[in-house]
Amino acid sequence: MKTGIFICHCGHNIKHTVDVKELSEYFKEIPNVYVATDYAFVCSEPGQEIIKESIEKFELDRVIIASCTPSLHGELFKDLLKKSGLNPFLLRRVSIREHCSWTGDDLKKNTEKAKKLILAGLFSVVHNLPFEEKVVEVDKSALVIGGGISGLSAACFLSKMGIRVYLIEKEKELGGHVKRLNNVWPYEKTGKEIVESLVSELVKADNVQIYTGARLELLEGYFGNYNVKITADGEREMNFKVGGVIVATGFEPFDPYLKPELGYGRDRRIVTTLEIEEKLNEVVLPEKPRVAILHCVGSRDETLGKSYCSRICCINALKVARMIKEGYENAYIECFYMDVRAHPKGGEEFYEETQVKGVFFTRGNVAEVVPLSRCVLIRGEDTLLGEVFEKEFDLVVLSIGMSSQSENKRLSQLLKVSLDKDGFFMEAHIKLRPFDTAVKGIFIAGCCSGPKDVEESINHGKASALKLFGMLNKGYAYVEPFVADVTEKRCSGCRMCESVCVANAIKYDARKRVVKVEEAQCMGCGLCNATCPSSAVTLLGYSDMILMDEISGLLARL
Amino acid sequence: MEFTNTTKVFTCIQCGKCTGGCPESGRTPLNVRLIVRKNQFGAQVKNSHLWYCTSCGTCTVRCPRDVKPSEVIFDMRSTLVESGDISTSIQKALENTFLQKNPWGRARSKRAEWAEKSGVAIKHISDTLEKRLLLSCCVHAYDPRCHVIPVNISKLLTYSGIEFGILGEEECCCGNEIRRIGEKGLFEELREENISNFNRYDVREILTLSPHCMNTLKKEYNLPKLKVYHYTQLLWDMIREGVVKIGKDYKKRVAYHDPCFLGKQNGIFEEPRYILKSIEGLELLEFSRSRENSLCCEGGGGRMFYEVEVQYERNAKIRVEEAYELGVQTIVVSCPFCLMTLEEQAVEKGIEVKDISEILVEVLE
Repeated sequence: MKTGIFICHCGHNIKHTVDVKELSEYFKEIPNVYVATDYAFVCSEPGQEIIKESIEKFELDRVIIASCTPSLHGELFKDLLKKSGLNPFLLRRVSIREHCSWTGDDLKKNTEKAKKLILAGLFSVVHNLPFEEKVVEVDKSALVIGGGISGLSAACFLSKMGIRVYLIEKEKELGGHVKRLNNVWPYEKTGKEIVESLVSELVKADNVQIYTGARLELLEGYFGNYNVKITADGEREMNFKVGGVIVATGFEPFDPYLKPELGYGRDRRIVTTLEIEEKLNEVVLPEKPRVAILHCVGSRDETLGKSYCSRICCINALKVARMIKEGYENAYIECFYMDVRAHPKGGEEFYEETQVKGVFFTRGNVAEVVPLSRCVLIRGEDTLLGEVFEKEFDLVVLSIGMSSQSENKRLSQLLKVSLDKDGFFMEAHIKLRPFDTAVKGIFIAGCCSGPKDVEESINHGKASALKLFGMLNKGYAYVEPFVADVTEKRCSGCRMCESVCVANAIKYDARKRVVKVEEAQCMGCGLCNATCPSSAVTLLGYSDMILMDEISGLLARL
Repeated sequence: MEFTNTTKVFTCIQCGKCTGGCPESGRTPLNVRLIVRKNQFGAQVKNSHLWYCTSCGTCTVRCPRDVKPSEVIFDMRSTLVESGDISTSIQKALENTFLQKNPWGRARSKRAEWAEKSGVAIKHISDTLEKRLLLSCCVHAYDPRCHVIPVNISKLLTYSGIEFGILGEEECCCGNEIRRIGEKGLFEELREENISNFNRYDVREILTLSPHCMNTLKKEYNLPKLKVYHYTQLLWDMIREGVVKIGKDYKKRVAYHDPCFLGKQNGIFEEPRYILKSIEGLELLEFSRSRENSLCCEGGGGRMFYEVEVQYERNAKIRVEEAYELGVQTIVVSCPFCLMTLEEQAVEKGIEVKDISEILVEVLE
């Protein structure tokens, strides 16, 4: 066996607290190590060149790269091995940055630790086998969950790009919350208009199936080949196959009953922004109505476990103030805020215009709303004056925030995508991969991953669709070879592995009385492996032997 | 005074929710938000301001950043207590509690004097099987007006065949008020004494007569295995299950006053109302400020033992005046503090203030 060890300085990141020279000198002396060298940036082009040359020169058959965490540059180094004519599975990454140089300042101790980590890699890399990555065909179709503004945007985009789309919506109609909006800031268009333009496109398209009153019942498989079961119109059951999924389940408006001190539900003069927007015409107000608008109801509130800012409600409150002012020129409108966050483009200007139009702003989070017969009394503190006030109004509007969909919990289990602390779907990486989830081929769009305005939701939907399209359009995908493998001789057919398998990949063969693994479905999580009482299941690439040898490396006396 | 904080004052966003809902701010020099603000910078806070707080907990319940403003005030008070920079009446109440286990310094041996008035045989907890402890507040124990509450409850329980016991002269102040005055060390002592009593007699559940005792036992005693509840909860269960039967009507206009420690702080709003609604002829009215918005009676947080500097219209008076306007004949309460403070103001308006148990005893079969 001919092994090459390449140690990265990562600029100062590793070199600063690990003696990289000592490492390369130390490993040079070890038998079977044909080359041990260190370099400033192994991931750079000259760094890659060193590895490539060494592989060719020494005909290496195992490569160890001691650098940053394996989750970084994984694909880069795999490709490098391929280019150098070596099977990429013969590579072993050792993390001496996150697991070593960054953890302490003691040069001597860190160097010792790095030695052991690399030694562990060296002991275990001998077991690495030249696996072949499997190629599977990808079904050029997508499931879009949710027919709100982002789901519709995603579906339209995919349909135009020639992807077959199955759009499911739990309500009887498409359009979600946007459809209820009288005026979508800043377009000066009604929500209905925006939604209907998208829906008409979808209805015309010949590659879109729309199911309303629908619910996802089952999703199994893997990227490119998901089997989907839904029920539509309450009972009709449907099965189909899709390549990828876009989750666009949106949000739920905050339930103002959860803030009892604000009196919602006790008096008809206390309404939410969503209600007033829909029904302003129906509300009976005096000629000179006194209207209070309360910001941050259901946002930035730890007592409700909703510490986040819902981002849309400040603009929404301003919009409602303007709407009322348009209907009632003489209205006295006062907004009670903690901070006015008019963040979208043009938002600050809109805020200023609203002030010019005669809407008053008082800094103070209203403490209590008390309905009386003659008025609705508001009690709070003007925090800029430091004075407690009691003011009388004819109408109190609660600018409610966004809560996560209660349905998300069930879906997260079906899709195996995790939720964040607030019940929103979690991005794979908030900055680098904001549309991806941790599951390959499942994307998130719109408010299901956190509060967004209409514009952002449309863009988010399109962006997720684009990312999914990029993956589907290739027509094929690689599947990792690290799947569970059953040694039939050892299997007693107890089926414990079947019960723990999250991917539904283990099937029982009643005739042979053993289990077998559907390789394409297996996610390689290793649960079966750990559960099997007779060690009949192994996870390829992660045998017990590898782990034992790795441990010997870590425990070695230097 | 200056103060180094242990609470979350640095996360305060100065939204004013605390001050806006505070029953004292705006009418007295107390501004809760400003106290928290000054704490962020270690700036001077005037000592006298701290003593207006009634510990009603409105600020802490509602604070969107979970700063716990009332706890900030208690922490600041404790620094004053430690340095002895407190009024003589507070000092006296603390000393009395230390010596006699009640803030008035009355003899401990007279703690269960009310039991003689009850006319039923009341057992010591050690002689009971079910180990259900009836725990009275110091107010019940020593204020003759409040004797009627433990008396009524023990009658109701005895007639319904529900076993209970008391601690007698071993009973000791729960410390809820003491902690809120800022005497943390004494609170710890009281807590330890009480817990050792509970353990000694293998107490399994505690029926509290004051929401203040219930609050501290539930939240500040760390007794996860003990079931602690308020008597209105038990009474409602008894009525619902038909253990006690209401046989007479009560033809009066009644308003229920939510005690802060029962309602706001512990979410018990319905049971007392259910009880009142189940009485025939009784017309239940609501104050404009009820339930979560209930107006504090100003009896808690040490205010029982201390007269504040600035004179202003008392909440109890505001409460009674609203009752008068509503045409209320009886204000019903379920807390001895509220009973005392409201009754003081109600007398001249000709409105009666009653504990919920008093009404129940009147209408029973």
